[in-house]
Amino acid sequence: MNKTLKYRWHILGLIFVTLSTVPIWGSDYVLFFCLLFFLYASMAQMWNLLVGYSGLLSLGQQAFVGFGGYTMAVLTNYYGVYVWLSVLIGGLFSVLLALFMSLFIFRMKGIFFGIGTWVFAEILLLWFSNWKYVKYGTGLFVKPATPPSMSTIYYAALIMGVGTLITVFVILRSKIGLGLMAMRDDEEVSEAMGVEIFRSKLFCFLVAALITGTTAGVLYVFQIFIQPYKAFAIDWTIVLVFIVVIGGIGTIEGPIVGAFIYVLLSQWLAEYGHVSLLILGIIAITIMLVAPKGIMGTLQEKTGFTILPSRRT
Amino acid sequence: MSESLALKVRDLDIFYKDFQALWNVSLEVREGKIVSVIGANGSGKSTLLNTISGLLDPTRGTIELFGERIDGLPPHETVPRGVTLVPEGRRIFPRLTVYENLVMGSYTPRRRSKREETISKAYELFPVLNERHDQMADTLSGGEQQMLAIARAMMSEPKLILCDEISLGLAPVIIKDIYKRLGQINQEGITIVLVEQDVKRSLKAASQAYVMLEGKIVLEGQPSSLTEEQVKNAYFGI
Repeated sequence: MNKTLKYRWHILGLIFVTLSTVPIWGSDYVLFFCLLFFLYASMAQMWNLLVGYSGLLSLGQQAFVGFGGYTMAVLTNYYGVYVWLSVLIGGLFSVLLALFMSLFIFRMKGIFFGIGTWVFAEILLLWFSNWKYVKYGTGLFVKPATPPSMSTIYYAALIMGVGTLITVFVILRSKIGLGLMAMRDDEEVSEAMGVEIFRSKLFCFLVAALITGTTAGVLYVFQIFIQPYKAFAIDWTIVLVFIVVIGGIGTIEGPIVGAFIYVLLSQWLAEYGHVSLLILGIIAITIMLVAPKGIMGTLQEKTGFTILPSRRT
Repeated sequence: MSESLALKVRDLDIFYKDFQALWNVSLEVREGKIVSVIGANGSGKSTLLNTISGLLDPTRGTIELFGERIDGLPPHETVPRGVTLVPEGRRIFPRLTVYENLVMGSYTPRRRSKREETISKAYELFPVLNERHDQMADTLSGGEQQMLAIARAMMSEPKLILCDEISLGLAPVIIKDIYKRLGQINQEGITIVLVEQDVKRSLKAASQAYVMLEGKIVLEGQPSSLTEEQVKNAYFGI
């Protein structure tokens, strides 16, 4: 155990150096693969923070994906804002949206909260697909004045992936993080211990909105094209559930492993069309039955192995 | 005199929506004493403790902690003022380690500086928890979980501990042990309010007793001065 601790930072450093030099040595395929991996890992970390740690069952993360993405596209196209700045503003707009949503959905609990978030995402979908300003359902092409190079987009994605990981790590190691985990285990008692439930939950919800919205901005800079029926689709949440559940809910490593597997599978399965969803579903169900705690959760339970321990000793 | 009163509850009314759970409850706890509140299921004992700790807002009435009004304050403000709840059914955080559970006990800011010191004090009181330091709390036995719940409450360095049914579902030998530790805690000058269904044991430990029935206090007095007949009648409402 001590040995793995000793070499942990060396290994993590090595991985980081490898990933940050991909544009130099990697093929386009490797570059795209890593890029998508970072973005999905980032969004999955946020869903995991909400569901796995603070007990906020969000089924409406696509609201922030779409809102962040559209804010970026509108600012870039219509107002000529520098593309990366508009990505950041997209994240901030997502926070505003989350604040507005919280006025309504923070009165609900459990599955009702989940449905509440989903309803908001659907409302946004309908609104954007009937809104002339964003060209209805046709969608928008993201046209920055000077289109960023692929390696620039890659580094933006890398920053989102690594930045999110660090953010989650810092939050979980902090006092708020312990409070969140306690809240997940027993809300009333954590309140009796002095945790301010509403504030902690709202904090998580806003952080998740910020990072999900920003990540979506980077994604749509990469994909160039944004459409309401894709951006606000429940498919996003399904993908995040898949990633977090197979990776291991309530672990920091889970979303990373899950995102890697998901991106890998979705590349392989792309040629099978809709059958691919069936296969993903079968994999998810199999893992839920065989290892309900997901890959990393089961591994940790069996071996005590953690790359980034959120535990205090 | 009021300065020797740790807790003074006056004319407390509590409603759950339209249902009134407490009726005009008044109670006084002298500093450094153990006071027992007994009553059958649903008589309002837990409601009383939850209100004192701030989880519930009283509809009417006042709560004073060492002369300071605390009614209507949420737990994150009552805990730093020195009152902590040991909730019914232990309610430790199952997926946190023993150590993390203890740290949660000192969640409110004022206590954090002295945390390591308080933890070693808690381990001194319950050595078995020290052995389980890194274990997930849900792997502990029932008795150990109850010890953890008490130790967790002690982490906030309370002046008043509210214990809700600490003997629930435990073997008699373990209950005896836990009551011994409670005695030790009390000897350090910490005031204790015991809510129990185990009438005999809690009356033995307490210097003052209240009997509740259907949300009202129906009998009070020193346990030594109360006859078994009186307690029985009050408890069952005969």
